[in-house]
Amino acid sequence: MATVQWFIKCGLTAAVLLLACGFATARFGQGLQLPSTTTRDGSLITLNRYAKEPIPDVVLVGSSLTFRLKEEYFATTNLRNLALAGGSPVTGLEIVANQPRLPRIVLVETNVLSRATDEVLVDRYSRKRNAEPLFLRPVRVVVASYESWLHAPVTQAQASSAHARLLKQPPSNFDNHVYVDRAVQQSNTEDPTVATQINVQKIERLIFALEQRGARVLLFQLPLSKELEDARFAKITRGIVHAQFPDSGRWLTIDASHSELRWADGVHLDERSALIVVQSIDRAISCCF
Amino acid sequence: MTFTSWQFGIFVAVVFGVYYLPALRALQVQLLVVASLFFYSYGQPELLPLLAVAVFGTYLFLILALRNRSIWLPMGIAFNLALLAFFKYKFLFVDATSSALVGEAPIDFLLRLPLPIGISFFVFHNISLLVDLTKQKDAPSFASVFLYIIFFPQLVSGPITRAGMFIPQMGPKFLSDVQYVDAARWILIGYFFKLYVANNLNEMTFYMSFPLYETLQTQDRWLLVFLYSYQIYADFFGYSAIAIGLGMLFGYRLPINFNLPYTSKSFSEFWTRWHMSLSSWLRTYLYIPLGGNQKGITRTYLNLMIVMGLGGLWHGAGLSYLMWGTLHGLLLVMERPLLGRLQSIDSTVFKTAQMCFVFLCVSMLWIFFKLPHFDQAIGYLTGMFVPSTSPNPPKLFYNLALLYSLPVIIQHFAPRALFERRLRGTEPFLYGAMAALMYLEAGPETAFIYFQF
Repeated sequence: MATVQWFIKCGLTAAVLLLACGFATARFGQGLQLPSTTTRDGSLITLNRYAKEPIPDVVLVGSSLTFRLKEEYFATTNLRNLALAGGSPVTGLEIVANQPRLPRIVLVETNVLSRATDEVLVDRYSRKRNAEPLFLRPVRVVVASYESWLHAPVTQAQASSAHARLLKQPPSNFDNHVYVDRAVQQSNTEDPTVATQINVQKIERLIFALEQRGARVLLFQLPLSKELEDARFAKITRGIVHAQFPDSGRWLTIDASHSELRWADGVHLDERSALIVVQSIDRAISCCF
Repeated sequence: MTFTSWQFGIFVAVVFGVYYLPALRALQVQLLVVASLFFYSYGQPELLPLLAVAVFGTYLFLILALRNRSIWLPMGIAFNLALLAFFKYKFLFVDATSSALVGEAPIDFLLRLPLPIGISFFVFHNISLLVDLTKQKDAPSFASVFLYIIFFPQLVSGPITRAGMFIPQMGPKFLSDVQYVDAARWILIGYFFKLYVANNLNEMTFYMSFPLYETLQTQDRWLLVFLYSYQIYADFFGYSAIAIGLGMLFGYRLPINFNLPYTSKSFSEFWTRWHMSLSSWLRTYLYIPLGGNQKGITRTYLNLMIVMGLGGLWHGAGLSYLMWGTLHGLLLVMERPLLGRLQSIDSTVFKTAQMCFVFLCVSMLWIFFKLPHFDQAIGYLTGMFVPSTSPNPPKLFYNLALLYSLPVIIQHFAPRALFERRLRGTEPFLYGAMAALMYLEAGPETAFIYFQF
């Protein structure tokens, strides 16, 4: 009898907690932005927003290089950055192409095309049904609430003035040669030929499908440091992509002054440089509207 | 088939249902053998012949050693150690990336076989079996030996059970004898520690891997070392607890593997609380045969170093594992002459300081576990003592880290009396909450850390 009582109490407690979380999820939804412990978590937050909110006018897809171009840096309103840190631009492009409605312009970064498509993500965000889980994660929701309370989001005006201040500063003089050397060494070891060729063909197919449905697709290459531009990985990737897409009208021109840009970790633009590049993208796409 | 998969849940339910059918009571051992074979071969059937070689070979040596122990016992042990050495240390001698390893097709085929899951554990079972059972006159049945070696709850990662403890438990089992509440307690706490603590902390300690750790701030390197300490405990304690609970469901008591190791006030105490079944095995079958502490101080120290060094290498063929074991050995040697004096100091503050010191050292040495490439481990360690220059450090949520580590901290440091007396009545509610939380807040699926050994 004691055994049965033990199991009833245990089971009821579990059931009550599950019901409470289920009720809270149904009542409040998954609106609260949960803290991300990995870069993939961060990507999921962006993709969740894309799947739920109205389709924007402009979408960027890319790798971690584009991930640094934060949406709040752009003057272009109604823009989403679906770049996946550690991921492939093709993943984002395929997710966009699988949606029932399309943005007007899709910008595709072509610096890193050696990574495979994340089929799990594509499948998850391509399904028609509502992929929202039944239960929220109580611990993460508590932490998210606390973090939201602690760090209230800045207003548009505050963000703009912070960006303006940053742009007035001189370029960083941080000595990044250790990171550059490492990145160059890695870039010279890796041969991206096969994977890039496969991805470039996928991109071509997806561009065709997207443009058939009325969207405009532009490719772009983010500026890299001189050393990295000359490394094997970048040279091979550039060669393959430009051979496949030779039409200059297909390319978005980024006219940011190279001398103003810095890559603190050797690969990714620092915040000021990202702002400069974003301004250049803003200028380039303004003529498309 | 992992313990955390739904296939495993169905597997256990089916085996449990059939196991207690009155008509099959005489075949319970055989049924568990078949179930264990199914469990082992699920997804990796090509390794069944190897398991068969290990079991049949060991049984043959057991029978022979019962006739002439002095000759066949060492041969049997050598046979098992050779199996372990072949699969675990082969790539120390051949280049794994080469298209033709030695040029002989059959040998290349063997060399290319993956590391059989659980080999380190079942080889230790086999040696225990040979040493313990050859001291008596009668050989146990083949089915008993088979079940002892491959009993599925303990097959992959232990606890390492002594033959003398397991085989006498074999006999008819009845449904009415099952201690359901005890089994549920072990299984629930095991899954809770694995899914809630270990899998969530794993998302954070992922940043300890190379080259990601280069981006960490110095204080985060320290934090992650402690988080990994909690993670590896939660992961392995979780596995062992599930194994013990499953063993109970089938009428077998498996040895307890952990006893609040992070409350240890000395390194020797730590090794009586951490992976107790391995420590006990090494003491019985290695330290004592080497002479233990009976052959003078120098020999005792040497024996400690040998045992800990080999214990490190048992985890894998790498300089990092050797370093981990050797450094633990060194700590044991260094504290040994001081142990009596340290234990005589009756001060809470001093004992707390001792506990913190042991935890700090043990945690730092886990770096060699997390980063089996020695130079990467050293790189991580070095970075803990120099200011970080990383321009883009990842953001770690300290509050989340605390909330995921809390079960380990509470388990270790909450006053026993509080749970044993005052909160006794709330126990089923607590386990119910753990059951809900491990479902709601489970971290991403990851393999048990000790599966790789």
